[in-house]
Amino acid sequence: MDLVLFYLFAAIAVGASIGVIGQRYPMYSVLLLIGSFIGLSGLYVLLDSPFTAVTQIIVYAGAIMVLFLFVVMLLNAPREEGPVIDPRRPAVFSTGPRRAGGLLGLAFLAEMIWALWRVQSSPIDADAEVAAHVSSVREIGIQLFTQHAFAFEVTSVLILVAMVGAVVLAKRNL
Amino acid sequence: MDITQLVAHLVVILFAFTMLITSAAVLVLAERKVAAFVQQRLGPNRVGPWGVLQPFADVLKLLFKEELRPRAADSFLFWLAPVLSATAAFAAFAVVPFGAETTFFGLLDEPVRLQAGDVNVAMLVIFAITSMGIYGIVLAGWSSNSKYSLLGGLRSSAQMISYELSYGLSLAAVIMLGNSLSLTDIVNQQAGAWWGVVPKWFLFLQPLGFLVYMIAGIAETNRAPFDFPEAEQELVAGYHTEYSSFSFAMFFLAEYINMVTVSAVAVNLFLGGWHLPGVPLWLGWAVWLAKVAALLFFYIWMRWTLPRYRYDQLMHFGWKYLLPAAVVNLLATAAFVLYVG
Repeated sequence: MDLVLFYLFAAIAVGASIGVIGQRYPMYSVLLLIGSFIGLSGLYVLLDSPFTAVTQIIVYAGAIMVLFLFVVMLLNAPREEGPVIDPRRPAVFSTGPRRAGGLLGLAFLAEMIWALWRVQSSPIDADAEVAAHVSSVREIGIQLFTQHAFAFEVTSVLILVAMVGAVVLAKRNL
Repeated sequence: MDITQLVAHLVVILFAFTMLITSAAVLVLAERKVAAFVQQRLGPNRVGPWGVLQPFADVLKLLFKEELRPRAADSFLFWLAPVLSATAAFAAFAVVPFGAETTFFGLLDEPVRLQAGDVNVAMLVIFAITSMGIYGIVLAGWSSNSKYSLLGGLRSSAQMISYELSYGLSLAAVIMLGNSLSLTDIVNQQAGAWWGVVPKWFLFLQPLGFLVYMIAGIAETNRAPFDFPEAEQELVAGYHTEYSSFSFAMFFLAEYINMVTVSAVAVNLFLGGWHLPGVPLWLGWAVWLAKVAALLFFYIWMRWTLPRYRYDQLMHFGWKYLLPAAVVNLLATAAFVLYVG
């Protein structure tokens, strides 16, 4: 049962992500990204951490993507036409954004190989007690405000700066 | 889970679903009747005794209408928007408990919860699903390719994002007070009474929180005096201007079901859910229904009494009064829980 659900959610997440970059209407890209987030949140539920799943939906699908949608809607972005490209040349040796994308893709591939290799050398602690520990809201809160307090505060200051900057840029005379 | 438990659970889910649809019909009639009484009219009284069959006549009329779609509309999103709205409205109610655990008068061996889905982060699930409901309205506004729809959709998303903050903060205060994310836990903490008279409802510990929740809830469901997305005098009908027939009915249904969900959550969080001092627990569902009905009446009463805000007043109020009030309430509750509770 779990396996079927895993493949279902994984298929939604992967399929939607491919759709985000695979078609040229910005509006549909935003919506497919939301679909991908929902698939991911389903995977979190299967991993026994409903809190992470719900937070994923509230923060990404519910708040951030609404802003994306807003921008796309206001710009009324039409169908995007890509630059003329030579399909015979590999992406990395191409020009402009295609080359940048190709290089980023290579970097990401290297990172993934490195990360997966590390995981293999240190097997995941499949202890039920540890797992329950990680998924508890109380535990997440305590960790966030004690061990990771500095990172937490720095992030909040960063967001505050971004907010002040947005207000200054948008409204010059308050 | 044995087979009787499973059947009982399915019955509860089916019951909740049917009850929601019925509640929309009842609300339509109630709205028209209350509106009539407020305006010294009689209201619908031709279809059935006292007009009780009016909602069914309305539904039939909507079903037999022609389904229209503007030529310039994005056909897939135009179809998807009302579906999203209605789905989000129904899904949010799934985690709301509507009565104490019951064995149905000894019919079952183990008690079953009167709740469609039992999750321990129920509060957050409701918050997540309501925030998904915005997409229905935004997409309807955009995909219709009509200026009235677009303006309505934009207004509603700005409004919902603004008021969602206060909404979430008022929920957070109750979560701290109840020290739990489960609605059932929070309801059960409100059993009993102080000094034998005052019921132990969180309303009395969180008066400001309740006020913020109700105001933000009304804004979230786009009801008067915050019904900007529709604003028929300026925007024809707002985001659903171009919709007709059944897809319009779905938006209509979503609006009423969202009202029911907001009221039901308010009852569970602030008004003691199915607890009322002196009433036995097996009558809890009736107590719960009566409380929800009272809040829904308040919703309708308000719509036909108050004029609509101006749009800048709405934003001004949301950001400069409601949000600070919610923050103060959260801090005060945190201090209270830390030092007294």
